[in-house]
Amino acid sequence: MEEELKTLVTDLQKELSSCTKEADVLNVKSKYVGKKSRIMEIMASLKDMNVDDKRKYGSLINNTKKDLERIANEYLENLGNTLDVNFDDTLDYDVKMGSLHPVTIVAKEVTDCLKKMGFTIVAGPEMDSEFYNFEALNIPKDHPARDMQDTYYLDNEMLLRTHTSGVQVKAMEKYGAPLRICVPGRVFRNEDLDASHENTFFQLEGMVIDKNISIENLVGVMQELLREVFHTDVKVRLRPGFFPFTEPSYELDCSCLICGGKGCPTCKNSGWIELVPGGMVHPNVLRAGGIDPEVYNGFAFGLGLTRLAMMKYKIKDIRVFNAGDIRYLENFKID
Amino acid sequence: MLISCNKLKTHIKNSDDINWLQIWDTFTIRTAEVEDVRVVGNSFEGVVVAEIKECVAHPDSDHMHILQVDAGEKDLIQVVCGAPNVRVGLKTALVKVGGRIDDVKITARPLRGVVSNGMCCSGRELSISDNHDGILELPTEWENGRDIKSYLPIDDIIVEIDNKSLTNRPDLWGHYGIAREIAAITNHELLPLDVEEVKNDKQDLDITIKNKDLCYRYCGLKLENITNNQTPLDMQIFLYYVGMRSISLLVDLTNYLMLELGQPMHAFDARVVKSIEVDTAKDGDVYTTLDGVERKLTHDMLMIKNGSKYFGIAGVMGGLDSEILPDTTSVFLESATFNAGSIRKTAVALGLRTEASARYEKSLDPNMTDMALKRLLYLLRQENPDLVIASNLTDVYPFVLTEGHISLQKKTLATYMGRVLPDADVKMYLEKLGFKVEVAKNSYEVTVPTYRHTKDVFIEQDLIEEIARLYGFENFEPKPLKLELSPKEHENVFTQEYEVKRLLATKYNMHEVHSYIWYDTSLLKELDLTKEGIKLLGKNENNILRDDLSLSLMNIVNFNYKNYASFGIFEIGSVFKKKESYRRLSIILVSDESALEKLYNGAKQITKYIFASLKNVNVKIMPNKDVASYYDGSLAKKVLVADDTIGTINVLSQKYATKIAKKKTIVTIEVDFDKYVALAKNPVLVEEVSKYPVVSLDYTIIVKRGKYADIETVLADFKSNLIKKRELVGTYENKYTIRYTLGSNNKTLEPKDLQTFKDRFMAHVKDHNLEIME
Repeated sequence: MEEELKTLVTDLQKELSSCTKEADVLNVKSKYVGKKSRIMEIMASLKDMNVDDKRKYGSLINNTKKDLERIANEYLENLGNTLDVNFDDTLDYDVKMGSLHPVTIVAKEVTDCLKKMGFTIVAGPEMDSEFYNFEALNIPKDHPARDMQDTYYLDNEMLLRTHTSGVQVKAMEKYGAPLRICVPGRVFRNEDLDASHENTFFQLEGMVIDKNISIENLVGVMQELLREVFHTDVKVRLRPGFFPFTEPSYELDCSCLICGGKGCPTCKNSGWIELVPGGMVHPNVLRAGGIDPEVYNGFAFGLGLTRLAMMKYKIKDIRVFNAGDIRYLENFKID
Repeated sequence: MLISCNKLKTHIKNSDDINWLQIWDTFTIRTAEVEDVRVVGNSFEGVVVAEIKECVAHPDSDHMHILQVDAGEKDLIQVVCGAPNVRVGLKTALVKVGGRIDDVKITARPLRGVVSNGMCCSGRELSISDNHDGILELPTEWENGRDIKSYLPIDDIIVEIDNKSLTNRPDLWGHYGIAREIAAITNHELLPLDVEEVKNDKQDLDITIKNKDLCYRYCGLKLENITNNQTPLDMQIFLYYVGMRSISLLVDLTNYLMLELGQPMHAFDARVVKSIEVDTAKDGDVYTTLDGVERKLTHDMLMIKNGSKYFGIAGVMGGLDSEILPDTTSVFLESATFNAGSIRKTAVALGLRTEASARYEKSLDPNMTDMALKRLLYLLRQENPDLVIASNLTDVYPFVLTEGHISLQKKTLATYMGRVLPDADVKMYLEKLGFKVEVAKNSYEVTVPTYRHTKDVFIEQDLIEEIARLYGFENFEPKPLKLELSPKEHENVFTQEYEVKRLLATKYNMHEVHSYIWYDTSLLKELDLTKEGIKLLGKNENNILRDDLSLSLMNIVNFNYKNYASFGIFEIGSVFKKKESYRRLSIILVSDESALEKLYNGAKQITKYIFASLKNVNVKIMPNKDVASYYDGSLAKKVLVADDTIGTINVLSQKYATKIAKKKTIVTIEVDFDKYVALAKNPVLVEEVSKYPVVSLDYTIIVKRGKYADIETVLADFKSNLIKKRELVGTYENKYTIRYTLGSNNKTLEPKDLQTFKDRFMAHVKDHNLEIME
């Protein structure tokens, strides 16, 4: 009995597969599930079976009938939907796509993460005054950072900003406290170009001003940020640093993702990459921004976006960023 | 800066408890970045003290000798040696057979026929000095046959500390300061330095500080009867390991003190220098420094001088004519403090950054000058027991730097640390670093030692840093920021930039590039273009800031055109005019010469699409007369929002295009991105879709003379309340097909409505002398 029922199904499928017209399918359907079909005969014989057989075959027979009907109906339906195909459906094509600059992609990731933590993305001018670039940041007149060697001074008494930190005081003046901003942007240093030095690169400034901000908040934000950017727990270490506009200051290093911490030219064989300098905003900077350091404090950090992109994409030569070689840049699909 | 661990050990009690190889990781996260840790002294094995007992000339050589040396063994050892200083009685260093220098194993081998059972070594051969004038000359009291490492501090660990990370720590520019940090980090005791006090029962030296703003303190001491000017070997090794050349005891001692205390010193020959004035130079004077180079002086350079005679450039380098000579037996010692900024400027101006100037630039503590003299005196006395103190320790110190005082509020500390530290811990951290602490109810009353008070520690936050770093940054627990429920977005420039970039990259397959904000002057020259922009000072090329982003992107076009038949690039960047900078979006489309029409019309579509999709604004594109010379005047367009120009579309003149990309057409779109950001998004006005059907009518209009723009005005003039939409659906030669979509919101249009429209439209067109294809 089981054998016969199985055969009915395969026979139906076999006969259907040779049908191309609706009428043929209907004929086949009637042959297998019509009033005079074999399955109906079998169902009719069910009432003469003994109790054991009834129990054994009852549902199997019923299900087979349903299957036969379903298979025939499905075939009928598909027949109506069949397209008249007269093209090569196996052709393959390359995807043509533009690209975003790797720094744009990384900046988007970082700012997306910071936005979730309540930061606003703020812009500042690439050409700025000595006041905002230095004075307001507690960098006095004879500080080495102001040397011609490092800074591009201009013939209109302005300069090309050497860091995005100049936006700190501007933002404080404009928006007051409390404040959470990040500033992705281009900065300029008078350097000779080589594989690890550029005169034009990107930083991202971050600053939080609020009441009762601690070093622990700073560590928390940094960890969250790096985890998000690298999609993995990156090994980080903090060590003391020195910047005139933060106190205490620190340098945050992350283990070199290019060599995995073993040491390579990118990390100068130390296994660590200096990635995020920062610290607690210096009271003088708060004052320059018109904020009372007795009431508010906060932290600031500067993330090397260009360096981050190098780490993320394992780029060994910094010069590719501004060279504009499309053959290279087109690798950077829109993330 | 190179640091010798052997030297550090002499300053710390029970220093053997410290793991001197591993401590530097901790030092990096507590104090300053360590760049390299190197074990030295392992370049040789089996080197012993040996005494030359016999010395005869080698028969087959004009310079070698055959030596019989006593290396503490029963028999003398025969060694062939080519050094000039061999002589009977000399004790020297011998590598015995079986010993090793670098990778060379020493074996018994004949030298011009005479067997040599080992090798006598120079300092350089052992990598303990750069002296290769002859074999080492060891003290006669050393025992023959003993390993020289048992006498000399040859096994050492040399550590390189990143100078940059020490810029704010003048106290760490010598071994003693580093030892203080290590002692604080490891909870050890820092040992005091041995000094010889000066009784001051003689005459003061004649020292005058004329410029008190630039010289804070000047201490002098005259010493006589210095007969031994031979630097002991262990000091030579130390100097060599930390990168300093050994010259003579007096010079070496001044360097040694600088490396130990961080206090630069100078020894003048007392026969030349008898009295001293500290004052600035006269413009145009020329002076020869120790290195034999003539230096041109200016009036802001501080000098050590007497009348018109210069003895040295203060804090930078001494002079040639007062230097210590082999026959010098009396010296005028200088130990002074100068203005950091002045020294830095002088050193930079002269291109002469010395070890001394590097330290002075950091703002040294004036209170260590006298100490340094006493320390030098002590060390010099070890080698010259009969030296004579010939003057008072003369001290000119116009403004005395005193210890600082900071009241550190416990509340502030707790806020910054995110936790409350026990008073005892705070006190311990600070005291180990040399601060004095009195614990009050709500504050710590902290006395700051002068070596941390020249520019480093002045406010509460400076102390918090000291506490935080000794507490250990790694011991802070990350704590998230509390997020207020009303986050404010102050600006959205970045987001708007990103939207446009993403659109161009995804919809139009363009590539975002970054170009320099200054023109490539060699390209300008090649194009024979001059730009009068803002200039970078002190640079002769690539020194003009761009005022046209598209032009500055031509370099990138030039770079790529050979690799791609057609491509599009874009950048959002700054351009500069006078004192202002502006943001611009520039899109450059490049294709074959023959594709001009497609490219040009494509540019118009892209422009319209950007504004339509992201701002819901319909821009107008009109001819532009005000256009730079390198763009084609006839095709120049401006992009208008209402009546305000927000951008331009241009074609680079063929003359320039050929030079940038041969046989290519270059079309540029430039958008004033400041205006773009400020441009409000038009609200979406939903128009009810009419229940009644609409009708499309196509008319093909022939323009005999003129362009589409000419009929556009005519069409715009034709008004009817049936018009739902009008669009240009096709062009062929001078024929333009216009499609009207007509309808009404109240009824289905009847044939007579359409007829009326047709009649009116035909009449309108004909009135304007246009022809319609029926």
